[in-house]
Amino acid sequence: MQSTLWNDLAAALPELWMLGAVCFVLVFDLFVPAARRDLTYWLVQATLAGALVFTVAGHDGGRTLAFGGHYVVDEMAVLLKSAIYLVAGAVFLYSRPYLKDRGLFRGEYFVLGLFGVLGMMIMVSAHSFVSLYLGLELLALSQYAMVAFFRDSLPASEAAMKYFVLGALASGMLLYGMSVLYGTVGSLDIATVANALSQEEGRSAFALFGLVFVVVGIAFKFGAVPFHMWVPDVYDGAPTSVTLYIGSAPKIAAFAMLMRLLSESLGPLTGDWGQLLAVLLVLSMAVGNIIAIAQRRIKRMLAYSTISHVGFLFFGVMAGTQEGYAAAMFYAIVYAAMAAGAFGMLLLMSRQGYEPEHIDDFKGLNERHPWLAFLMLLLMFSMAGIPPTVGFYAKLAVIQAAVNVGEVWIAVYAVVLSVIGAFYYLRVVKYMYFDKPEESHPVQPGMDAQVIMGINGLAMLALGVFPGGLMALCLRAVGY
Amino acid sequence: MENVYLAIPLAPLAGAIVAGLFGKAIGRRGAHTVTILGVAVAFALSLVVFKHHVLDGASVHNAAVYTWGVSEGLRMEVGFLIDNLTALMLVVVTFVSLMVHIYTIGYMHDDPGYQRFFSYIALFTFSMLMLVMSNNFLQLFFGWEAVGLVSYLLIGFWYTRESAIFANLKAFLVNRVGDFGFILGIAAIVMATHSLDYATVFGQADRLAGETISIFAGREWSLITVICLLLFVGAMGKSAQMPLHVWLPDSMEGPTPISALIHAATMVTAGVFMVARMSPLFEYSEVALGVVLVIGALTAFFMGLVGVVQNDIKRVIAYSTLSQLGYMTAALGASAYAAGIFHLMTHAFFKALLFLAAGSVIIALHHEQDMRKMGGLRRYMPITFWTSVVGSLALAGIPGLAGFFSKDTIIEAIHLSEAPGAGLAYWLVLLSVFVTALYTFRLLFLVFFGEPRMDAHTREHLHESPKVVTVPLVLLAIPSVISGYLVGWVAFGDYFGGAIVVHEAHDVLGELAREYHGVWGFMLHGMMAPPFWLALAGIATAWVFFHWRPELAEAARLTLRPVYVVLERKYGFDELYLFLFAGGARRVGRFLWQWGDARLIDGLLVNGAARTVGWVAARVRGMQTGYLYHYAFAMIIGLILLLARYLYAA
Amino acid sequence: MSFTQFVFFVFAAVAVLSAAAVITLRNPVHAVLSLVLTFFSTAALWLLAEAEFLGITLVLVYVGAVMVLFLFVVMMLDINIARMREGFARYLPFGLVVALIMGAELVLYVLSRAPDVAPPAPAAAGYSNTQALGEALYTQYLYPFEIAAAILLVSIIAAIALTLRRRPDTKYLNPAEQIRVRRAERVRLVKMKSES
Repeated sequence: MQSTLWNDLAAALPELWMLGAVCFVLVFDLFVPAARRDLTYWLVQATLAGALVFTVAGHDGGRTLAFGGHYVVDEMAVLLKSAIYLVAGAVFLYSRPYLKDRGLFRGEYFVLGLFGVLGMMIMVSAHSFVSLYLGLELLALSQYAMVAFFRDSLPASEAAMKYFVLGALASGMLLYGMSVLYGTVGSLDIATVANALSQEEGRSAFALFGLVFVVVGIAFKFGAVPFHMWVPDVYDGAPTSVTLYIGSAPKIAAFAMLMRLLSESLGPLTGDWGQLLAVLLVLSMAVGNIIAIAQRRIKRMLAYSTISHVGFLFFGVMAGTQEGYAAAMFYAIVYAAMAAGAFGMLLLMSRQGYEPEHIDDFKGLNERHPWLAFLMLLLMFSMAGIPPTVGFYAKLAVIQAAVNVGEVWIAVYAVVLSVIGAFYYLRVVKYMYFDKPEESHPVQPGMDAQVIMGINGLAMLALGVFPGGLMALCLRAVGY
Repeated sequence: MENVYLAIPLAPLAGAIVAGLFGKAIGRRGAHTVTILGVAVAFALSLVVFKHHVLDGASVHNAAVYTWGVSEGLRMEVGFLIDNLTALMLVVVTFVSLMVHIYTIGYMHDDPGYQRFFSYIALFTFSMLMLVMSNNFLQLFFGWEAVGLVSYLLIGFWYTRESAIFANLKAFLVNRVGDFGFILGIAAIVMATHSLDYATVFGQADRLAGETISIFAGREWSLITVICLLLFVGAMGKSAQMPLHVWLPDSMEGPTPISALIHAATMVTAGVFMVARMSPLFEYSEVALGVVLVIGALTAFFMGLVGVVQNDIKRVIAYSTLSQLGYMTAALGASAYAAGIFHLMTHAFFKALLFLAAGSVIIALHHEQDMRKMGGLRRYMPITFWTSVVGSLALAGIPGLAGFFSKDTIIEAIHLSEAPGAGLAYWLVLLSVFVTALYTFRLLFLVFFGEPRMDAHTREHLHESPKVVTVPLVLLAIPSVISGYLVGWVAFGDYFGGAIVVHEAHDVLGELAREYHGVWGFMLHGMMAPPFWLALAGIATAWVFFHWRPELAEAARLTLRPVYVVLERKYGFDELYLFLFAGGARRVGRFLWQWGDARLIDGLLVNGAARTVGWVAARVRGMQTGYLYHYAFAMIIGLILLLARYLYAA
Repeated sequence: MSFTQFVFFVFAAVAVLSAAAVITLRNPVHAVLSLVLTFFSTAALWLLAEAEFLGITLVLVYVGAVMVLFLFVVMMLDINIARMREGFARYLPFGLVVALIMGAELVLYVLSRAPDVAPPAPAAAGYSNTQALGEALYTQYLYPFEIAAAILLVSIIAAIALTLRRRPDTKYLNPAEQIRVRRAERVRLVKMKSES
């Protein structure tokens, strides 16, 4: 018993480290004078770095279950967690000057952010419905609080309220679905559920009933149409640093949830949830891409762009093959990086009392700061899926996987809509390069932000040219 | 020898490039010197090749010079196939080309586009040589299109003239129809044999003959017939066979040397050459041979008739060309390929001669082409007159001159042929002999005899053309007489060897050859045969109507008014095409432009799609009301719909 | 129908009706009280299912603590009920239809192929529900349990971070600062000429 517990704790070392470190940061921050709060920030980055080390170094390459089957470490967990740390680190880095300028540079922001990361880690490593759900709630709760963090902002409070209520509704549905599945199968363990469902009699209509609710919960988390309504309002209402946070890393965690729930536990019902995802993705691509065109506010535009990307991600999963899962995973990671870059760009262009709100604010960026304009160009190209950026490869991989299982028509549809979608991405590029700046104030982001943004932006190009490495990792993560 | 082969097309090409790109720098003298030099070299080398292959009996040369590309085993090459057929064509093409080059110095003397003209005709010579020397379909097609391009450029040489532009556009479009068939034919060959090489394709002709192709569901067609007919469509365009003949008379808008070189002697015979070259394929298809025969015969007769009523001197010769091309084509259809090629050769000489003579007359009369304003010129232009007489007699088929031998052979061959439609074809070509003699001598009488009808001013300045004009006339008159005596060798002998394949059952020339006992016997036999008497009758008729009693011609014209009008209108082909194809295409084009392009594509699809997306976006955007309960409601609706999906399944 | 079933249906009916009352009653205090009733009925159902500990916890925690707190809040707030109920009648038919469809779907699913689950055998006498729950929580469900603790921590942090604020307009005294005050901070000597 004793040794089992130690083994369990050793397996979950990254989570333990994270929890301990967060508690330490929480207390530490109380004794740090406001002027030296950068210390907290560096401590947060160190926490993430430590978690990365524990995650990668602590993995023996195999698959370990712990805590009575509630926790799992496998290739996918390691890959996705590592991606989450990196994205979260970049998010905090981009956010720092923005928060300082607005008097939001407080320890709680980082503590909540790290708790969110912990929630994501738990989701990624979940091997039962309970731990998955609790991780989701931990993440969601942190996010609700972060959105509301800018207390004096009315839109932020409104956004937080909407997010909270709708999130609670979605959580309820997810939980209901899980309980129905528990009712039919009699277990919360992912492997056991999969086992039971693969038997003929397990595939009752009742299981399908639960499945629908689970899919709704997942769809909400991703922001797939028609469960997307919160996305634009929350993205737009929240402080940009928070938008950056919820727009990037949690997508990876949501993908993990999708994989754990649909692929690993409901895998025997692939044909059934594949059709649900098909409906969702068709709607998401259309609504996301089309409404984005009508947006003038950059954050709303990116919010709708997220919705359309979710459609693509679902498309890969829908194929239900290892290849499709790997493509979708690739897409999720790449999307998180793209979103981090794009929202981060808004933060980099902000200064005391000003932040870019409309697409027009990008006019003439090339004259004001050519380097940032070029990076933004790469990010927009990548989002639009223009070769040789990675966005193209990600879309290609997804479509290839889907076509391989015969989903030709949806593939055509996806291509048509990404062509429509290219319009609003390219509009930003056009504004940056071909229009006169309306604003003359210099853009002066910090050196660290410039460097990381440079890496972020160039990674879009580098991964686009050499996607093999990441793709190989993804393929290994899905056990290909 | 390979370098010699390569030098033959490249010498004119070099001349064309120098004259074309550096025309201003080297001046008029330089331009004609360099191009004539190029063509002269080509002619000299052609003679060498002719000696090497034909006289010394060297074996057939078939090799690639350059591999342009290989795609899935399909080799695209530049290569030469030199056999007796090629050697003959080389000599004819380069000789006539050389004559025309020299003649052009005089004819184009005052033209501002002098260098350009020389560059074009040298380029044409190069293209034509590439065409005849090719050993594969790709290069054949290249040469085919290149001569078409140069022809287009030269018809529109005087590009400020409305009629020239109309004519070259017409030539271009009509040829396009033919080329479309041609390229389809090549495509069919590639599809069936996966090769572009003549030798490979011909080697498989046997197999192709047995295969069928289903173009429309349920209809099985013989593959080789489809291929041959498609190729022949190409030949019809280039060699101006009915109903794709309409461009050739109009091509007379080009300068006269061009009419002689391209539109009489060489390019228009490319179709004939091509069919002869493809004889290993055509021999397998009775149907294709029948079509070729009948089309040729129809062209020979009906185009000749039109020639009788034309007043423009060049147009008369142009219709004569059409008619003679019909003879050649009909010969091909009767499997008398050798006779067709033989006629091609003799015709090249005497028709070039006639054209150049006409050109000589035209310059003398300051670019007057209407025969009604000529007459009595034999006193002023003796050399032109006598060479014209030689050409006319040759064309009319008077024994002893070149035309007699080749044409008589063809008529006899068709007489013997058992191809489908041979009976009809025989009567048509027979009657054509009369018609040919009629229009030829009508021209001769109207131009050179009778009272001068030009105005006084012109008459005072009438004089014989300069040496550069008359020397080519004389040089062309010589082969117009003597080349016929080769009949025993070229048409009846084993001149072509393996270059032309004739099946036993079709071998009409072989049959004729058995009765052939030397040229004198052939001539003697010819004088007792109907063609000779028909020719004499034609000449006599021409003499009566256009020299002795011109008022009879007028009377006949009034009496036979309906026939005359039909001929005058050239059977209405032009009007029909203008209305149906040109007009129809323009109507369709306007419809497509206004409705298809402007409204449907630009309006509805391009701008419409953008506008629709924008409109939809603006509407759908309204769904995002900002009300929490709307959002929650949307989620519930979504849930219900997803549930319903499974309720149905369950 | 056994007596147990009868009791079940009674409490189930009460639970559904009182839940409906929560959202339909005009007076918010009444609504909260209806919610209390709902919880009571639910607790009773759980007792019927032999989940005694959960049933009692529901009453103690939710009814005893949460709902009472809730009631205080509702009573202290001045809620404009008329405004909040705007559009209720307008949306009611539509909402009802949707609710009916939803309900119909639920019923159809259950009817279509409800799993034939036999009720578990009654626990033996002396079986402690509480003990079993405790054992499960601290062994099998240790990991989720700890996560739940972390969630609670987050909610506390969030609540404090969102509500603790030093409002500039509130006037409160800091005794430590008052004691440390110096004379120079309060009194300023001004030299001026006498007017005389």
